Amino acid sequence: MNIHMTPQRTPTETALIDAFSDRLSLLPGDGTVMLKRDDAIEAIKSGLPTRRVESWHYTDLRRLLASIPDFDPAAAPKAIAPVVEGSAVLPVLNGVSSTKLPDIEGIAVQRLSEKLEDGSAAPGLDLYGADDAIGALNTAFVVDGYFVDIADGAELDKPIELQNLQAGGQTHVRLSVRAGAGAKAVIVERQAGEGAAMVSSVSQLLLDEGAEVTWLIVQEQPDTATHLAQFKAHLGKDAKLTLFVMNAGGKLVRQEVVVRTTGEGADFTLRGINLLAGDTHTDVTMVLDHAVPHTASTEVIRNVVTGRARGVFQGRINVHQYAQKTNAKMACNTLLLSDDGEFSTKPELEIFADDVVCGHGATVTEIDHSHLFYLMARGIDEKSARGLLVKAFVAEVIEELDDEAIVEALETRLDGWFAAHG
Amino acid sequence: MLEIRNLHARIVDDGTEIIRGLDLTVKAGEVAAIMGPNGSGKSTLSYILAGREDYEVTEGDILYNGQSILEMDPAERATSGIFLAFQYPMEIPGVATMEFLKVAMNEQRKARGEEPLKIPEFLKRVKDAAALLDMDMAMLKRPLNVGFSGGEKKRAEILQMKLLEPKLCVLDETDSGLDIDALKIVSEGVNALRAPDRAIVIITHYQRLLQYIVPDSVHVLYRGQVVKSGDKSLALDLEANGYAGVIGQAA
Amino acid sequence: MPAVQDTIDRVRKIDVDQYKYGFQTEIAMDKAPKGLSEDIIRFISAKKEEPSWMLEWRLEAYRRWVTLDEPKWARVHYPKIDFQDLHYYAAPKSTPGPTSLSDVDPELLRVYEKLGIPLREQEILAGVQKTDASELEEASDNVYKSGRVAVDAVFDSVSVVTTFKKELAQAGVIFCSISEAIREHPELVKKYLGSVVPTSDNFYATLNSAVFTDGSFVFVPKGVRCPMELSTYFRMNEKNTGQFERTLIIAEEGAYVSYLEGCTAPQRDENQLHAAVVELIALDDAEIKYSTVQNWYPGDAEGKGGIYNFVTKRGDCRGHRSKISWTQVETGSAITWKYPSCILRGDDSSGEFYSIAVSNGYQQVDSGTKMIHLGKNTSSRIISKGIAAGYSQNTYRGQVSAHRKATNARNFTNCDSLLIGDQCGAHTVPYMEAKNATAQFEHEATTSKISEDQKFYVMQRGIPEEEAIALIVNGFVKDVIQQLPMEFAVEAQKLIGISLEGSVG
Repeated sequence: MNIHMTPQRTPTETALIDAFSDRLSLLPGDGTVMLKRDDAIEAIKSGLPTRRVESWHYTDLRRLLASIPDFDPAAAPKAIAPVVEGSAVLPVLNGVSSTKLPDIEGIAVQRLSEKLEDGSAAPGLDLYGADDAIGALNTAFVVDGYFVDIADGAELDKPIELQNLQAGGQTHVRLSVRAGAGAKAVIVERQAGEGAAMVSSVSQLLLDEGAEVTWLIVQEQPDTATHLAQFKAHLGKDAKLTLFVMNAGGKLVRQEVVVRTTGEGADFTLRGINLLAGDTHTDVTMVLDHAVPHTASTEVIRNVVTGRARGVFQGRINVHQYAQKTNAKMACNTLLLSDDGEFSTKPELEIFADDVVCGHGATVTEIDHSHLFYLMARGIDEKSARGLLVKAFVAEVIEELDDEAIVEALETRLDGWFAAHG
Repeated sequence: MLEIRNLHARIVDDGTEIIRGLDLTVKAGEVAAIMGPNGSGKSTLSYILAGREDYEVTEGDILYNGQSILEMDPAERATSGIFLAFQYPMEIPGVATMEFLKVAMNEQRKARGEEPLKIPEFLKRVKDAAALLDMDMAMLKRPLNVGFSGGEKKRAEILQMKLLEPKLCVLDETDSGLDIDALKIVSEGVNALRAPDRAIVIITHYQRLLQYIVPDSVHVLYRGQVVKSGDKSLALDLEANGYAGVIGQAA
Repeated sequence: MPAVQDTIDRVRKIDVDQYKYGFQTEIAMDKAPKGLSEDIIRFISAKKEEPSWMLEWRLEAYRRWVTLDEPKWARVHYPKIDFQDLHYYAAPKSTPGPTSLSDVDPELLRVYEKLGIPLREQEILAGVQKTDASELEEASDNVYKSGRVAVDAVFDSVSVVTTFKKELAQAGVIFCSISEAIREHPELVKKYLGSVVPTSDNFYATLNSAVFTDGSFVFVPKGVRCPMELSTYFRMNEKNTGQFERTLIIAEEGAYVSYLEGCTAPQRDENQLHAAVVELIALDDAEIKYSTVQNWYPGDAEGKGGIYNFVTKRGDCRGHRSKISWTQVETGSAITWKYPSCILRGDDSSGEFYSIAVSNGYQQVDSGTKMIHLGKNTSSRIISKGIAAGYSQNTYRGQVSAHRKATNARNFTNCDSLLIGDQCGAHTVPYMEAKNATAQFEHEATTSKISEDQKFYVMQRGIPEEEAIALIVNGFVKDVIQQLPMEFAVEAQKLIGISLEGSVG
């Protein structure tokens, strides 16, 4: 229906707008940064996105974000061990980075608050579109985070784990990484905490020529938290990015993945698993731009839906007019295991170049009964057999990561989730 | 009938030169075999003869019945009588083989100023040709080459060659992927096409096919050039001693 | 493949952007003044001698429409339509209500002759002219049954003539213009009109409800298998008119009907609006097959003119085990916005959507379907083939949803796009929504161009480039073409060839 109406501001919108004026003095930033913050709050004033905004069709943020917690300067999250043993940990606790910066060869780490103060973080604060609500929220309120610069040619032997930990309240964090030419690194983005926090977290990754990065997002928020996250990456010539996203928690989760290939020969891989339980809502939305010729991408998303959980995957592949010889493939497979669960998928192809090979596939199914029967015929009881099949369905995606320490660490997280929800 | 003079050709995309000064003459009625190790330019030569745009002729000429064909597009070459039996025939989903044959045969007729074939005559010709090649008519109702086995595809190529009645037949690795029975049938099909006004160029890696289709001349291709020519005994020599000897002489 | 050969011959005879059906007919017209108001609606209703309940229904829709905003769509762009600058009623003067062909303006009959519509009964009785595709019967899998076709012809705003009425009546089938149905069968119209597409459904459907001028009505009673194909041809002739036809098809328990729709419009350099509503209702065990070959004027080579085709088509599988199947070949219109949908309400009901959308020049197509699974054990199947050439934009947009109670819902979707040239765009936007654990949805989509290998192979057999492309494209769309009755299949193949003319650089 297109009946004329002027929406009233929701309590959340009002709270955000008020919080911005209240906290203005606490927000770091030079003139440029503050101007960007002003633009961002203007975007919020025009209203949080509803289902009428195409990219938010399945996540009506205006309705779902009925209330938000206040900022809580006293919140004190507990430290946690990294996912992969021996990683260099860069913690952000309650939205604030550590003053103790590690000394690792080949990388330079800066607190993001400093880069906001001196204005050097300003270019990254731009929104990527009119519907970039997470970007707007984050740009308006971000206080801290890290900037990690990996030197040209550096090959890190241990992962860097960027931890974003909360204990209630509101936090707005930004994690920014540049991988220099030919650099090789594994980066873990850890999102966890306790209580009913509301988090906005924006990660930015720039891959210079020939850089190779594996980036793992491990999101295990408590099922009381609201987690609004964005991962943005630019892939230069011959750069290679493998992004792994695991969502295994949170009450209201939106993880956006915004990737652009800017150099020929760039190669992007997305592997995602969404483990959904309880009365939660999880949305993974990817926008991938093949902006130059001869680039490739593959995306594989596996979802397991239990309880009253609602899941969403939107994946849009844009192939620009001169991006000939693009090769893009996307698959999204869902196991819907409960009658009260829901899953919605919108895999999109927008193609403006003719010499391309692009495809996507999507399925929503139950567990394959013949597989189940086979396992049961071998004496495995139904519950265990189901458990095995469901785990195998998602574990496949992890196993493709091809790094034993990482695969093992992620399977441990997976076992933990199944133990709690199986 | 076919005269290739000092031909140089490269891949358009990356400029790699594949054919480097090739000379070859094939007369009407002759069966010429072109042999050579992998990567010598055999398949490229067949594509260039048929007019594939991925290759660019930089020097030399290809004369067919005394006329240069370099400016002709693939369809014009085909209707002038040049036929290529592909090493890997393309699958064309949704296009029934019969429909395809009818359109192709009528294009040949049109080029010769003849009326399109009447349906019964068309069907008769296809049936007769299929029977000779031991092909099932049911297969021809399926989409072109889709789901055909390797052997079926090769037979379908020979069937097309028979029906289109070309003057210059180029067979690119027609023996690859064929078992011995299929090889015999295909060879008989080709032998039946031998005629005083027709030339056949057989491109092959192995001597095996030449036991069944005995060539009048054999040419060894290496690095884009004909490095040795001879009669059918050259093929046997290659079979016994390998390419090394011949190539060694050339290098 | 005779159709392709024929296509090429035809194409050679016409200029690049010459539209085959672009002739205009000088016929005395009876027109409403430009603009839309309650008075205009009263005028239309009075012209059609409608009962007062119908007028009220229209006025209610109109009052709602004025409160609505014109929709803005993400993928289609066009200048704002001035709804007050259109005629909402135009009729050839010799009508309304011809009782036989001899009452029809001979000029009008000549129009249909030019369109190749088998309107004259003797032509129909002689059967539709066979093409030599049938001669290939033995050789090809391209075999269709030819049969007799009853035709309802709609010229601008009014239905001019319906053939074969008597024979259909003997079978109990009602096939007439919707205006006649409103007068003669008010109980059926009242019961079903607006029951699938409510007057409030969307901007254009609401507009249509207020101003629809004609269209077809089909009623197939319980247990009857309609003895022939039913067909309607729509033609927009008059300048500055909108065509707002309304079609209502009801198949009672166990009934079957196959309905074909064809559309053309003359070539004009201004845009004309077409906003139809089609409602299908299938009761228990009934089956409705609805086929469309849409060839409205697409605009010229610079994108000037052409029809805006904003259509709401929806089928309601109301009964158990009912089936509705949509097949469409969309080659015309400057802008096409249509999503023929199925509401799978009855248990074990099924819906199908087969589509070919060809766009060339500056055409914009945004089309697809919605399959709404509500009943138990419902199934749906979607096969969509999009072909974009020139500067056109071709979008498939489709929704498949299984509601909470729709146990064992099944869907298979396949949408493939083909790009010809590097200035056009092909887009695929599927929405899949599963709210039931027993749902099984499968979706696959691909986008590619015509493979150079395939083209080379076909040309190596002596087939010229343009024909090689037409051949490969016709192969690409074969799965959908096979769903059409033969007369349409042949016409559709020709149209596809003609539409792609000039796309080879």
